[in-house]
Amino acid sequence: MKNEYYPWGGDFTVCKPDSCVAVVLLQIEYMPPSDVAIFGPLRTENIGIEKIVANVISNPHIRYLVLCGEDIRGHCSGSSLVALHKNGIDEQHKIILAPGAIPYIENLKSKAIERFRAQLKIIDLIGIKDKAKIDKKIKECIAKKPASFGEPYIAIRIKPEASVKLDDKRALHSRIVVNYMGKIEKRGG
Amino acid sequence: MFLFTKKQEVLDISGIKIGGQPGEHPTVLFGGVFFKGEPDFEKERKGIQNMLDLSQKTGNPAIPDFFIKKEEYMEKIMDFIEQTLPKNYPFSIDIVDPSIKINALENLGERHLLNRTIYNSIHVGITDKERETLKQHRPEMAIIVAFNPKDRSPDGKIEVLANGAHLTDKGLLAIADEIGIKKILIDTAALAPGENSGASIAAIPVVKEEYGLPAGCAIHNVVEKSSWLKNFESARKIVDTSSNVNIALFGGNYAIYGPLENADMVFPTMAWQDILVSEYMDNYFGIKPSDNHPRRKFF
Repeated sequence: MKNEYYPWGGDFTVCKPDSCVAVVLLQIEYMPPSDVAIFGPLRTENIGIEKIVANVISNPHIRYLVLCGEDIRGHCSGSSLVALHKNGIDEQHKIILAPGAIPYIENLKSKAIERFRAQLKIIDLIGIKDKAKIDKKIKECIAKKPASFGEPYIAIRIKPEASVKLDDKRALHSRIVVNYMGKIEKRGG
Repeated sequence: MFLFTKKQEVLDISGIKIGGQPGEHPTVLFGGVFFKGEPDFEKERKGIQNMLDLSQKTGNPAIPDFFIKKEEYMEKIMDFIEQTLPKNYPFSIDIVDPSIKINALENLGERHLLNRTIYNSIHVGITDKERETLKQHRPEMAIIVAFNPKDRSPDGKIEVLANGAHLTDKGLLAIADEIGIKKILIDTAALAPGENSGASIAAIPVVKEEYGLPAGCAIHNVVEKSSWLKNFESARKIVDTSSNVNIALFGGNYAIYGPLENADMVFPTMAWQDILVSEYMDNYFGIKPSDNHPRRKFF
């Protein structure tokens, strides 16, 4: 879904727009208190993390990012998100010291990542599935009533994917054509 | 339905053929073993037998795709592979964690199983240690996942295969070549809805015309990630099953269709789709179906 506060969309639930807490669910069936700003699952250590970053920095009220549940084996998406916040990315756009299999941030500018690191405090509850404990930590964060971070930061995807114009005569792909008989050929032979 | 002008490779692993022009060889179906939760060996033993029976009936080759999620499962799963599969039968290992991948390769080497192994998978996250281990313990066949986190279009998928899209020091095909793996399947990396999920299907003919290699994907992943489908429970399995026909329709050669228990639905569906493709390819382009093709089984 999309929401004016969360322009990148994704698989998430929006609750209280001016709340200071966003909750990341890692393989856990858990409904956070209704006074969080947004919550949803994280699955992948690349595209999934990008979406979370983009969708939290666009709401300056969010100051705490609570990660809870069990990290995903191999992908280590939750731990990779923590690593992004702690270390940032290297020149190859790889999250520094991330344990995930493919921890690359390719669609966000470094300014967006710096904003994420400055705006948010990570509450690392990875490994905790006790709902009462998670509830308690969320309530503590909300009780602190931190100030808004200021203006929303609307992250722009770095590279829009190629699109086809209506007058483009290609079929299938820019380099591959299919003729009227159904033969596929490389454009230009 | 398409005919490719580029010569299409047909790869063989223990007698199972993957690749070729659409309508030539039946779609190879990879069923996930130990897909979710703790391994249930008795349940999966029956599931594998059921899949092999369905394969006999329809003609669609079956490959058990073994998930190894924890190190502690390794020995038991390897024993299970040796004891459960018919002699010399091929299988794939589906592992995400890099350290488990390395240990699995060493284990397969010690057990002399590498000549039956399809390594699932090589991708842009490949580590130096994994590359070295693959050189020492080389599987017969490997799946290369053409996932490009920056560009999810067919062009982006080609980019990681050709030059690594700056994520690896060279293209994934060159890495596989350097390791010495000669038999390569391309997985066009099905992503969640909203992440250009359709590109995994559109990329199949692009990859095949570009490289002539067998191509396919795990399109069922897109269904798994379509959480809105939870509101249509009775349709969910049907959508999951039928999503695979897109692969065959776009000229693909294999489908990684999800957990074994989907086999009852997937095998007849794909046999039906293969017959549909074969009839046209034969009548229009003269592509004859192979001896074990579903069209030869049922007509």
